[in-house]
Amino acid sequence: MTEQRPIRVLIAKPGLDGHDRGAKVVALGLRDAGFEVIYSGIRRSPAEIAEEALQEDVDVVGLSSLSGAHRTLFPRVVEELRKRGLHDVLVIGGGLIPPEDIPYLREKGIAEVFLPGTLVSDIAKFIREHVGGERSSHGK
Amino acid sequence: MCEWEDREELERERRRWEETTLQRNLERLGLKESPVKLYTPLDVKRKKYMERLGFPGEYPFTRGTYAVPIAATPYGGDTMGVRPAAGVYAGYGTAEDTRDLWRKERRRGANVAFDLPTQCGYDSDHPMAEGEVGRVGVAIDTLADFETLYEAFDGITTLDRMASNFTINAPCNIILAMYFALAEKKGVPWNKLRGTPQNDILKEFAARGTYIFPPKPSMRMVRDTITFCHKYAPEMNVISICGYHMREAGATEVQASGFTFAHAIAYVQLGVDAGLDVDEFIPRFTFLDFGGGMDFWREIARARANRRIWARIMRERFGAKNPRSWIMRGGDSIFVGPSCYTLQRPLNNLIRGVIGGIASYLATGFGTGGVPWDEPLGLGHSYEARQLTLDATRIMRFEAKLGQVIDPLAGSYFVEALTDQVEEEIWEVIRKVDEIGGAVEAIETGYTIREIARSAYEQQRQIETGERVVVGVNMFTGENEIEVIPPRLLPHPYDPQHLESAEERQKAKLKKIKGERDQAQVNMALKAIRKAAKNENENLIPYFIDAVKAYCTIGEICDVLRDVFGVWEPKGIV
Repeated sequence: MTEQRPIRVLIAKPGLDGHDRGAKVVALGLRDAGFEVIYSGIRRSPAEIAEEALQEDVDVVGLSSLSGAHRTLFPRVVEELRKRGLHDVLVIGGGLIPPEDIPYLREKGIAEVFLPGTLVSDIAKFIREHVGGERSSHGK
Repeated sequence: MCEWEDREELERERRRWEETTLQRNLERLGLKESPVKLYTPLDVKRKKYMERLGFPGEYPFTRGTYAVPIAATPYGGDTMGVRPAAGVYAGYGTAEDTRDLWRKERRRGANVAFDLPTQCGYDSDHPMAEGEVGRVGVAIDTLADFETLYEAFDGITTLDRMASNFTINAPCNIILAMYFALAEKKGVPWNKLRGTPQNDILKEFAARGTYIFPPKPSMRMVRDTITFCHKYAPEMNVISICGYHMREAGATEVQASGFTFAHAIAYVQLGVDAGLDVDEFIPRFTFLDFGGGMDFWREIARARANRRIWARIMRERFGAKNPRSWIMRGGDSIFVGPSCYTLQRPLNNLIRGVIGGIASYLATGFGTGGVPWDEPLGLGHSYEARQLTLDATRIMRFEAKLGQVIDPLAGSYFVEALTDQVEEEIWEVIRKVDEIGGAVEAIETGYTIREIARSAYEQQRQIETGERVVVGVNMFTGENEIEVIPPRLLPHPYDPQHLESAEERQKAKLKKIKGERDQAQVNMALKAIRKAAKNENENLIPYFIDAVKAYCTIGEICDVLRDVFGVWEPKGIV
């Protein structure tokens, strides 16, 4: 039996949107739910987020945007993660996102989009279900 | 307030009532304690009427900012503040897109929403601007964009006959410089200009996030606005102090008011430290609003307390002598913010907005239907949603006649007791910030930000546990409920194709402007800014005016300032 480390999550704000109430609340909520959580702070570029994900060896990247730039920025983060070989990192998103954009985001590698009113406990449940037991360190 | 009975006798009567009538009622219902509270004269502090309440439009303003609220007059119009003099807050895409929209709407004032790159001091071709150009507002890179934007008013009105509101903070003085440069080109003297820049940088650090430079040099630039406008553009407001964004970021009503006043104190101090007479510059300070939530009674108490607190701050703390200086200009309304709105069963948001409007009427003499109900569905409100908001406002005013009596709850044992209590809680926040060393220090140490984040998380925790009810979200969501989602057939007037192509068009325009301008002049202007920025005593606005006239970009000017001032990285954010 190997000891499992807690799931590590990076909550990040790509782009210039400064509305980070949701990002902070999710970060604090996931921390209380037993995850190891890092919050990027606002105004991060997709490359900076991917780099932080790599350095922090996270299992999950949670993106938040309320400015309408999600269609550009969320897929760019996925690209930057893949460029760094982070193919298994689960990418999820949230914010003020029109439901009609969700299929496009899914197609671009965003596993799930959580809209306003989501309970943090539901996000925690989704992460537990999608970050499997075979989880291991990314070989740092 | 009024003493009907002897206090001791009343206390005896209250105990008797609790032990007999109340007790019998509780037993019949099988309850241990009452779910409702009762207030009597015992709950109200025995203070003099004139000292605590007074008359509307007079110190301490508990009963109203003005003797007659403007919305109650024929000039209030049927929309009553829903449409400010400068028009509804708007802007998208490029300056051309916004100009065309404003022309179509025959606007007579500019209430400008800027996109995030502009607000954060990045040009449209900066890597950080990717995906954000023209999204939440209009993209402005150079004076050329500003000139295009104001073509919307050609043949309709002129700068000396209109008002302009700029929702801009960190680069505020650069935008003002563009306005002054534009006026100069059009031959309108600066002292004829009217408008309001937001310019409330402290709440950007605390909540909204479009800061650039560290707090101290940022405050220096607010000082520049105060002193420059005092001298050259005395009809311009210099700041619009906001509680709304902190409230939306999670602050409680008490924190939102307390931090807003703490910020206001820091701004007033800037003018005082610059050697100005407080009675001379304070009339050009305004408040936006303090936001609002669903806690009806506390909102009412807070709005009444706010007026009293500001009057006391100005009169007692700053020694203002002119009664006009004691008035809280703007900000005197309750407005249920979109953080109370839900994506689930979104038409419920109209009801939430109206509850805020009623609270506002009861506390301030006027109210509106709030934010259109479809706010959580995505950026932009449909025309139907806007119509409902306007109609809600009209129904409150004309059908329900809510504005007939000013401050109708005054003298209520409960409302007076709660007003006193909320006031004391707000003073406590102000005192705490004073203890830390002031609003700037509270930002620098991360105190304000942590306090707001803590409150936001506490609210979410209460929603998750069900302590706080949000209809259709964490309660009343069962199978028997209907998920009412009305269609939006008349979409927002922003053209989605323009929105998509704005970034490319704006980058092309920027490239063209850069190619055409006199580069030597640009370099000289930027060099002059660098030199002036290093001297704390210099007012930078004249240098910004020279620079924008040479078509320096906002990004270029901000880059120089980033070099001299540094950039702000908050610490201990969660």
